[in-house]
Amino acid sequence: MHTAYVMACTILPALGQAAFTAELSVTVLDNAGRPFAGAAVIAEPQTPAPRPNASPRSEMDQRDLQFVPNLLVIRTGTAVSFPNSDQVWHQVYSFSGARTFQLSLYAGRAHPPVIFDKPGLVTLGCNIHDGMIGYIYVTDSPWHGRSDTNGQLTLQNLPAGNYTVKIWHQRFNDPAASLSRSVTLTDDQAVRSAFLLKQNLKPALHSHGNEKQWEDY
Amino acid sequence: MGRLLITLALLAGLPAAAHDFDFSADLRAAAASGQTSYLNGGLGKLRFDGNHDGLQLGYLRFAYRGNPTETLRFTAEAFAWGDSDVNAVDLTEILLSWRPVPHSAWRSELKVGAFYPPISLENRMRGWRSPYSLSFSAINSWIGEELRTIGVEYNLDWLRQQQGRAFNFGLTAAAYGWNDPAGIVVALRGWAVHDRQTSLFGRVGRTGQGIINGRTLFYDDIDGKVGYYAGLTANYRGALELRALRYDNRADPAEEAPAIDDYAWHTVFDSYGLRWTVNEHWTLIAQALTGNTAAGDIAPPNYWRFDSWFALGSWQRGPHRLTLRFDDFSMRQLVSHFPGYNHDDGDAITAAWMYQINERWNVALEGLRIRSTLAARGWLSAPTTADEKQWQLALRYDL
Repeated sequence: MHTAYVMACTILPALGQAAFTAELSVTVLDNAGRPFAGAAVIAEPQTPAPRPNASPRSEMDQRDLQFVPNLLVIRTGTAVSFPNSDQVWHQVYSFSGARTFQLSLYAGRAHPPVIFDKPGLVTLGCNIHDGMIGYIYVTDSPWHGRSDTNGQLTLQNLPAGNYTVKIWHQRFNDPAASLSRSVTLTDDQAVRSAFLLKQNLKPALHSHGNEKQWEDY
Repeated sequence: MGRLLITLALLAGLPAAAHDFDFSADLRAAAASGQTSYLNGGLGKLRFDGNHDGLQLGYLRFAYRGNPTETLRFTAEAFAWGDSDVNAVDLTEILLSWRPVPHSAWRSELKVGAFYPPISLENRMRGWRSPYSLSFSAINSWIGEELRTIGVEYNLDWLRQQQGRAFNFGLTAAAYGWNDPAGIVVALRGWAVHDRQTSLFGRVGRTGQGIINGRTLFYDDIDGKVGYYAGLTANYRGALELRALRYDNRADPAEEAPAIDDYAWHTVFDSYGLRWTVNEHWTLIAQALTGNTAAGDIAPPNYWRFDSWFALGSWQRGPHRLTLRFDDFSMRQLVSHFPGYNHDDGDAITAAWMYQINERWNVALEGLRIRSTLAARGWLSAPTTADEKQWQLALRYDL
């Protein structure tokens, strides 16, 4: 269990209601075999999916001097609002290639949403609180999400075809190549795929908690 | 003034919350045994002593933070300590900092005013207070007593964590004046363990009492020479912070200032610090400081070496925080034109329980024992060796 990098693709009997589409269930386990919650899971079709007509909406909150969620997975073109639920002001910025922006100092819900129109990883910071770091994973694929407390994410209604399945989390140490694999989906089938990390996780980023009085000297 | 700032802020389109008025109060019940406190004319190392305990004011704190522009921040911190300082309420920090939003991994910050040098890894609450215990370590007690940067500090941060790397790095450099008496307290009184910061226009201890010249106004410039410090920081994923800093006030020890009846004290030290946030419950902090100070117009001038280190472990769960700290300190005079040579050797154990009742109210209980041998006590006809103990129960309010 600890030594081998396990990839399990099981083809299960078709599910009745998912006619002419497939279901993909991905499990993420750490190097001790424990479920890893919160990982980004993306199934990228090898033939690009059509872009949606309406711009999807999402939210990245700031609470207790942290970005909530810490990692947001969105489709390209999504408009993300950045409310500030803290008493203190934040000044959000990114200098990542996929989206460079800054929101002037604010409390509450002061800014219009930011549209993420290029795929890639966007790292967020707050210029007032260096301990705050958040991530937005922008993908062209409509089939994405985050693993639950069982380390699982089930994606439904995927058209048959070849997919690249990727997982990502800021705490992963494994090389990118081992966090991505090809999966072929056929109609009316449910496919399971498990990723077992080989490397130890990077330590979690620490934040101070919710006290307004915290201020590093 | 407030109305003017609010008007300016409205013009600048900032939210009303961009003005942050802050108030804190700290009421103590203290029980102490040992020598008369350095604050009351003795050479005891604690804030409270047997004649000044019972119900005491820990502090009243008044602070303001505001952003005159998007990248400029103004900070003012003022305290009332309830003892007989020059001013009943006085500033401890007042500064303007400029921190533009980074467009790359390099970020600059410039601070101008009167503020703390980036040495303490313990004092991480507004007003340079500690979330870990009521009394600061010996090192940080001394920094609160004698050090303030009155000048300019520049910080350059390399924000590599934003690029998916593990470490952020930082460089800090400062030029300052008005810190020429720095060193006098550690050389004459030795080290202490308390939370009584010196105000910008205040004094250490009672005017005219004790071993420290009552007229010594802190944060004064005697020789007109500019001091500096330069330091490096490294931060590993927010969990581990490492700091190193060289401080030199470049004072001319032969320079006498009749106005304050003292010399400029040439103080140089190196400071090292480590703070490791092990997990959501545990924090470990260690700091070390080693330096020397010189004063007097006879060559070679009076010369003292001083060293201290501490290790602190703190455990938090929900509203409870338990902290245990061990301090070790020494000071030794190597050149003396006085009748004797001063020296100080000792250690301290501090145990604290902090309990957060709700967002505004806290209680804290702290036990502190400090054992020391200080030669200067003999000059005041007191026993040179002291075993001092202090219990403090604090009720704290933050607006």
